[in-house]
Amino acid sequence: MLIQLRGLTKTYETPAGAFTALRGVDLTIDSGEFVAIVGKSGSGKSTLLNMVGGIDRPTAGSVSVGGTTIEEMSENQLALWRGRHVGLVFQFFQLLPTLTVAENVMLPMDFCGTFPPAERRNRAIRLLERVGVADQANKLPSALSGGQQQRTAIARALANEPPVILADEPTGNLDSGTARDVLDLLRGMASAGTTVVIATHERDIASVIDRTVQIADGVVVK
Amino acid sequence: MTTPWRKVVRDFWQERTRSLLVALAMALGIAAFSAVLSTYAILNRELNQGYLATNPASATLRMDKVDEEVLKLAAGDLGVAVAEARRVVSGRIKAGPAQWRTLMLFVVKDYKDIRVSTIIHEAGAWPPGPGEILIERDAFQVAKATIGDTVTVRMPNGEFQTLRVTGRVHDVGQAQARMENIVYGYITLDTLALLGEAPHLNQLKILVKGDALDKAHIEDVVDGLKKSLEASGHIVRSVDVPDPGKHPHADLMGMLLLAISSFGLLVLALSGVLVVNLLTALMASQVRQIGMMKAIGGTRGQIARIYLGQAFLLGLAAVAIALPFSVLGARALCQYLAVFLNFDMTSFAVPPWVYALVALVGLIAPLLAAAYPVAKGSAITVWAALSDYGVTDRGFGAGRLDRALASVGGLARPILLAIRNSFRRRSRLAFTVLTLSVAGLFFMSALNVRASMINTIDQLFASKKFDLSINLGTMYSVDQLQRAISRTPGASGFEGWIATDGVLLTPGTDGPRAAPASPGLHGGSGAGAAGHAGDAAGVGSRFAVLGVQSATRLLKLDIGEGRDLQPDDVDSLVANTALVTRYPQIRVGDTIALRMGPSESTWHVVGIAREAFSPPVAYVPRAYFERAGGHVGMTNTVRVALRGSDAESIDRFREALDPNLEAEGIKALSTTSKTESRYGFDQHMLMIYIFLVVMSVIIGAVGGLGLMTTMSLNVLERRREMGVLRAIGASSRTVWLIVVIEALAIGLMSFLIATAVSVPVSGALGDFVAQAMFRSGLSFLFDPNGPLIWFAVSLILSAFASFVPAWNASRAPVREALGFE
Repeated sequence: MLIQLRGLTKTYETPAGAFTALRGVDLTIDSGEFVAIVGKSGSGKSTLLNMVGGIDRPTAGSVSVGGTTIEEMSENQLALWRGRHVGLVFQFFQLLPTLTVAENVMLPMDFCGTFPPAERRNRAIRLLERVGVADQANKLPSALSGGQQQRTAIARALANEPPVILADEPTGNLDSGTARDVLDLLRGMASAGTTVVIATHERDIASVIDRTVQIADGVVVK
Repeated sequence: MTTPWRKVVRDFWQERTRSLLVALAMALGIAAFSAVLSTYAILNRELNQGYLATNPASATLRMDKVDEEVLKLAAGDLGVAVAEARRVVSGRIKAGPAQWRTLMLFVVKDYKDIRVSTIIHEAGAWPPGPGEILIERDAFQVAKATIGDTVTVRMPNGEFQTLRVTGRVHDVGQAQARMENIVYGYITLDTLALLGEAPHLNQLKILVKGDALDKAHIEDVVDGLKKSLEASGHIVRSVDVPDPGKHPHADLMGMLLLAISSFGLLVLALSGVLVVNLLTALMASQVRQIGMMKAIGGTRGQIARIYLGQAFLLGLAAVAIALPFSVLGARALCQYLAVFLNFDMTSFAVPPWVYALVALVGLIAPLLAAAYPVAKGSAITVWAALSDYGVTDRGFGAGRLDRALASVGGLARPILLAIRNSFRRRSRLAFTVLTLSVAGLFFMSALNVRASMINTIDQLFASKKFDLSINLGTMYSVDQLQRAISRTPGASGFEGWIATDGVLLTPGTDGPRAAPASPGLHGGSGAGAAGHAGDAAGVGSRFAVLGVQSATRLLKLDIGEGRDLQPDDVDSLVANTALVTRYPQIRVGDTIALRMGPSESTWHVVGIAREAFSPPVAYVPRAYFERAGGHVGMTNTVRVALRGSDAESIDRFREALDPNLEAEGIKALSTTSKTESRYGFDQHMLMIYIFLVVMSVIIGAVGGLGLMTTMSLNVLERRREMGVLRAIGASSRTVWLIVVIEALAIGLMSFLIATAVSVPVSGALGDFVAQAMFRSGLSFLFDPNGPLIWFAVSLILSAFASFVPAWNASRAPVREALGFE
């Protein structure tokens, strides 16, 4: 297995009191699986994804990705690990507005030093070709449509060839046609051996995913 | 260029307006610092080339007479390289209808062979012929004469003589004539004889062999020479060994440059506050980007470098903007100081090390300023960063101050909103208020220091109840003086005092030659209480001793400690503050020993008189001189009170007095009016005042730029709120007003702080400046105009600084504003 969660609990301290987003979640995901985490808003989907990506730390329990125990790493170690082993895709794309499309894709390579500098641009263009926006490579994100921005975000997530892609509501801000294209892209990646985990509200995704994990009130119910 | 660096450059460009404001503010500080550093480097080089090239004398020995035998003896001394004879005579000069001016005549035997303290011929005749006078180039403006004019000269012997101005010279060794209000003239021995003075020289100027910059070596040589001259029967009256190679005004210049460079660094530090504000806001607005960069593998260090890169670019822009201005500033400053120091600039070339140092300071300062916000901003966790909803303000309402502000009522809601808004970003508010407050502080300090200086000088001159000092040089009968003065219309009273020089002999002093000299006003023309024109050159440990008439009506000393002289005092002494500063061991109640001429005497110190900006003076009863010196009914210095104290009345009285003195056989050495004495003080004071006002204007500009940046950031962060306001019915004018009122609230806060702090700070600042320039404290006086003017300036500056941000806020379309994240 690639991802293993054991007794994962996350509690937030808020002005209104403690709020537990995850309660003792146990979950295992294998390499190359395309898994959808589904549930209502506030059910704990994003929190679970954040735990897997090392974006947030559990209050209790453990997270292991590819044999690496996340909670034992420092912030800087986590950043480097994440850059090399996890690709992240968000609902609002989160592209850096002052960098061009190609530069956004090159940034993870620059941070992690994963490819020789001279090769980075070519690789970014290849990734953009793969997601179908190579012709937009030299434009700034603001000049792109939502779908094109999300494709760019997916290309960026693939920049360092991570074994895991985590996508939090990747289609939440897209029209249905574009959403379908994005899901197909993610399906293609999973088919190529990348583990893809998405948190989503989409109902009609059964045809593209391998498994659904339903979560409610911080507990895996199915 | 790597992708992170591209982000740095593009972010900088995206924020170009705000970045430019901050870079401009920093450029002000860098330009000021760089201009001063350049000036320092240039002047040091030019002073060496200008002043040292004149071969300033290593020492001057004042003798009865310097003849060929003395010169031969001096030239034969193994330690002496060059020996030359000179003479300096004081007198008065008048050109056409102009007023009489103090004249300092330099007598040179052979103008074609000047090797010590050389004079540069600039125009007209060289050397001057008999009956001719050359005038120092800056002194032409004081004399109000031109080459070819005929001037009237009055010598201490009472002789009037007309001389023709035939040339212009430049004497680097003299202080600026305009500042000192003195005319420097250059004549030959023949002309001196025409003026009725004995045609001989009395100053021996020498250049030493060996290390001419080693004061101890010079003193050794001078000691040997003095002994040798005395052994040959010559009388050496005094010895003056100036600091070798040091321009007479070098200390003053150093102080001035130190003050300006400190000010430059202060401006730089204040502009650093703007960097903090800008980067804090930038990082707050990019918190999601930071989270995203961390999410895709960026470490804290890598993220920090991106934002430090912003600071680096700010520094780079600031240095680029500042350097051309600094070069221009340095030129202007050099030219000003060159005139002030009375020397010519040959080159304005700035040494490369100055540029290197300025670039280093300019680049490091913003990095230092950025260190904290960048360290803090880059430490955010990915989760916290990605959970952040853009730049919306959070946290207002939680603190006590927020609740207190919320309870404030009675004002229109938009005004309340504006006031509460100003407190939302506390650190930014604090930094902005700090910058503006410092500007206000400097402005009010400038006015307070000016008022205090005027007050101090007023107090100094208020103690002197006379209008004219007449230095007779030798003893005359008081009765003779009384007859001359009573025949002259305009006098309301006079007193004949006795002035002499004294040396402190009390054990514990460092000895006459080692005791530090007090410079007074550059040891210049002097507003000395003793009114000693002859002391102009200043002689080491000597100080004036003034025998004051019993129950004097013309001197009301401002006693700081102890008491004033009483009518029945015989051996009581009142020291002024300058004397006590020179000899701190002098305390009220002490008995001290003085040597005056050949005799020694002991005195009881009964009081200390406050006399700012004065040379050291000891006031004693003139009865002592009557008893010990047999000078009963005699005087050598007279103080006259006039019915009219204006310059015209004084001049009229002087004109009328001269023949009456002559009729009594009295030859006055010099006369100095209170107005003339005050002129030098006023000139120096004006310089300090202008400097402080310029400082406050520049800091005000930095403060204004800071406020503009702050308001621009505040508007940027609250665009959505502005959209909401517009959506619920606020007009563009209301939105505009809310922003402007917020800026006015900030301006008002800075005004209140600056006003409260200005009293203690300007007192200390005035004391510091006065101590540095005049070695004297100030009598503090608060100028009420300061707060009034600064109140208006604060409001105008705030309104001006917020105008553009407010305009932008009021013009943003509602849909766009509501969509802003």
